[in-house]
Amino acid sequence: MEIYRNACPRNCFASCSMLSYVHNGEIIKVSGDPKHGFNQGRLCAKGYAFTQYVYSPYRLKYPIMQSPRGSGNWKRITWDEAYSIIIDKILELNVRYGSNLACGYNKFSGNLGLLHYAVEGMFNSFGPHTKPVGNPCLISGEQAIRSSFGQTVSLMPEKMADANLIVIWGANPAVTNVHQMKFIFKARQKGAKLVVIDPIFTQTAAKADIYIQVNPGTDGLLAHAIAKILIDSSLYDQEFIDNQTTNWIEFRQYVSTEVNITEVSQETGVSIEVINELANLYSFSKPCVTWIGFGIQRNKNGRENISAINTLAALAGTLQRGKGGVYYAHNGLGDFPANLLNHQGPKHSYINTSREININNFAEEALKLSEPPLKFLWIASRNPLSQDHDFKTWELLFHELELIVTVDLFMTRTAELSDLVLPATTHFEDPDLNISYWHQWLSYNEQAIPAYFESKSDLQIARDLTKKLNELSPNFSNFPYELEPIDWIEREITPSVKELYSLKSYKQLLDGPHLRNDEKYSEGSTSMNFHFVFPKKDALGSEASTNVIEDYDSYPFKLITPQSLLRIHSQYETLSWLSSENDEAIVELSEYAAAKYWISEGEKVEVYNLNGSIAATARINRYLPKKVILVNQVGKNPINQVIVHEENSNIGKSSANFYDSSVNIRKWRD
Amino acid sequence: MTEMVKQMGFVFNIDLCIGCKACEIACRNENQTVSAVKWRKVSKLTDDTYLSISCNHCSSPECFRVCPENAFTKRGDGIVQINSNLCTGCGLCISACPFSAPQYDPELHKVSKCQMCYPRQDKGFLPACIEACSTGAIDMENLDSFCSREAVSTIPGFPNSRLTDPSIVFYPAKKRKRYFLN
Repeated sequence: MEIYRNACPRNCFASCSMLSYVHNGEIIKVSGDPKHGFNQGRLCAKGYAFTQYVYSPYRLKYPIMQSPRGSGNWKRITWDEAYSIIIDKILELNVRYGSNLACGYNKFSGNLGLLHYAVEGMFNSFGPHTKPVGNPCLISGEQAIRSSFGQTVSLMPEKMADANLIVIWGANPAVTNVHQMKFIFKARQKGAKLVVIDPIFTQTAAKADIYIQVNPGTDGLLAHAIAKILIDSSLYDQEFIDNQTTNWIEFRQYVSTEVNITEVSQETGVSIEVINELANLYSFSKPCVTWIGFGIQRNKNGRENISAINTLAALAGTLQRGKGGVYYAHNGLGDFPANLLNHQGPKHSYINTSREININNFAEEALKLSEPPLKFLWIASRNPLSQDHDFKTWELLFHELELIVTVDLFMTRTAELSDLVLPATTHFEDPDLNISYWHQWLSYNEQAIPAYFESKSDLQIARDLTKKLNELSPNFSNFPYELEPIDWIEREITPSVKELYSLKSYKQLLDGPHLRNDEKYSEGSTSMNFHFVFPKKDALGSEASTNVIEDYDSYPFKLITPQSLLRIHSQYETLSWLSSENDEAIVELSEYAAAKYWISEGEKVEVYNLNGSIAATARINRYLPKKVILVNQVGKNPINQVIVHEENSNIGKSSANFYDSSVNIRKWRD
Repeated sequence: MTEMVKQMGFVFNIDLCIGCKACEIACRNENQTVSAVKWRKVSKLTDDTYLSISCNHCSSPECFRVCPENAFTKRGDGIVQINSNLCTGCGLCISACPFSAPQYDPELHKVSKCQMCYPRQDKGFLPACIEACSTGAIDMENLDSFCSREAVSTIPGFPNSRLTDPSIVFYPAKKRKRYFLN
């Protein structure tokens, strides 16, 4: 039996390092890598299910094509046939329009390994094309952090164990960041208090010493009210404010004139006593860490809410070394050249750059394109027809597209509506390099087993396709297809990466992950300059602040669609080991809502608004706010059918507002 | 007697269990059980707590008593084993066990159950579930000598266990402060 070192490439905080146990070319077992300082030899439930994932009977084995699109009339084809179809279309569109702007891709977080930027690299290698920009997930918060701190900040998550107070705003690590919980519990065992502020009584909230339920979207108001108490009681760090902040006078003025504690109490649903209790905790318990979850930015005031929490952390004097700090995300990619992502393509005679469209409004913007319109779409590491929003517009876009290619491991809803589906490998089948957006460990992912049937990685597909393309049309692509995966990995390990991660060569990573040399590079934190950001009047606030459903409310419920424990969005759905969470949609509603609509536990209901509707099974959650409903993410019956993101003016700098949709429910009628 | 008789058992801390199911799937990963066979299960105990249980390797195992084939044995360390060669799949143990520990394997037409990873233990490793628990909610001790003032032998929601004397003890949940919206 051989043992290989792998790294989980999922869109998850933990980016675990793992070991795979291989017998006769087959993985028989996996385990956590004891040398990884964050996951410390353990995996999550999804990680322990990888033997089932790799050998799932539902995995795609061969390239397939259907005609007509959406008919389900699939035919197995060879890779050569697939490449020919794709290349013919690319070349024909190039002749038709005089450029490659009619070709575009949509790719996001299905596999976060650095070599999966091969998709971007491949399109770059064609010269100007149509590319998505922005980030659906965490960019609003990142923008807020940058405006407050002047830079992104990342503290080692392992150090949360040293805190005396941990305040979690809108994160549910017991489900989404399981390995962080041990550091939180370690702090608690030493006497720290865990406070969770969340509209949902989550699995993490259940573990909190103090849980505070808040109306959705009102976190910033709560933070400002606590700030006001700290200011009025002079319980803030004057020295820090004098020496290391800007905009203080203006902020103080704002708080004194605009923040009214009684009003905040009404809007947030948090009593004045509890706001005072929070103020006391923030001012007297150090080190105090504030963890701002990704959930907060899923609405249009997300950025302002996060700025307000940053401000509270600064005011309470928690930002200096040893006093705590703010956890949001770690900009792991920033250390690396990301050569595939940043690959420079050939120049076009008169088109200077690629045509960029906002990934959060992809279908609508793509549909509007003309001269040339978008005609060829490549989808990889993503299942937009389950996980994006505004599906009606996606359907219109698909109608205009002449060729849709999806690369995936499973027959997703998006794959079902594509012309060609190309089978992708798992991370056990190709080498890669993995970092995290939370912790600071760098992991190498070894190839442990051969590719499953005819599956290929994004990089291998890019290499094969560009090579063939150039055979037919010399110099069409400048992709260096002769480079092996290992060459790309070596090129990521630049001299600065070697210094930062104490590495002489990538080969050392075969013996275990390396930790970023944090101390050396965070010295600047003592000279950090904090800017007090505060919102324009009325930018914070909630539409759900009244707790009565009026008869004239067409769509009285705020829809929140959190992550499920045993899924990453629509990934892992077909695994029987993980199927205890139903693959049917479940809508959780409050006792109040259930009584008002005469809906009982287990009943089939419809969740709907003007955008669409889905069938779901009702479950009554006695801890849910009256006007909030929760629906899980199900790949083949996606709740995102009722979600339409309203793009704000900050193009490419704002996350998708998945939690801004209002819906209604009713009993199902067949 | 050459080996000291002991009773290894599980120690389960309700406050530390986050219901993440890593133990349940780590058990499957280790033992590669078919989908219908669940040696370890995580379930909701109350609205805000979880229970993770497998075979409790009882002091007086009902499976042992009812099996017409005498397929069950108890090792010197207290682990209850089933000899699959003797099992006919009659299912009497399944109905007798208060914890649904024996599981029917529809492919082999036999019963199998948690063996507390004795092949791992015999090599000096912890059972897969305990190794996988990132918060330390599940642990194991020799319950013949284990003594803790805070540990209790049962908790509300745990099946009535007076009959079989299961080898598991619990640290119960502590009270917390919660402020819900009105």
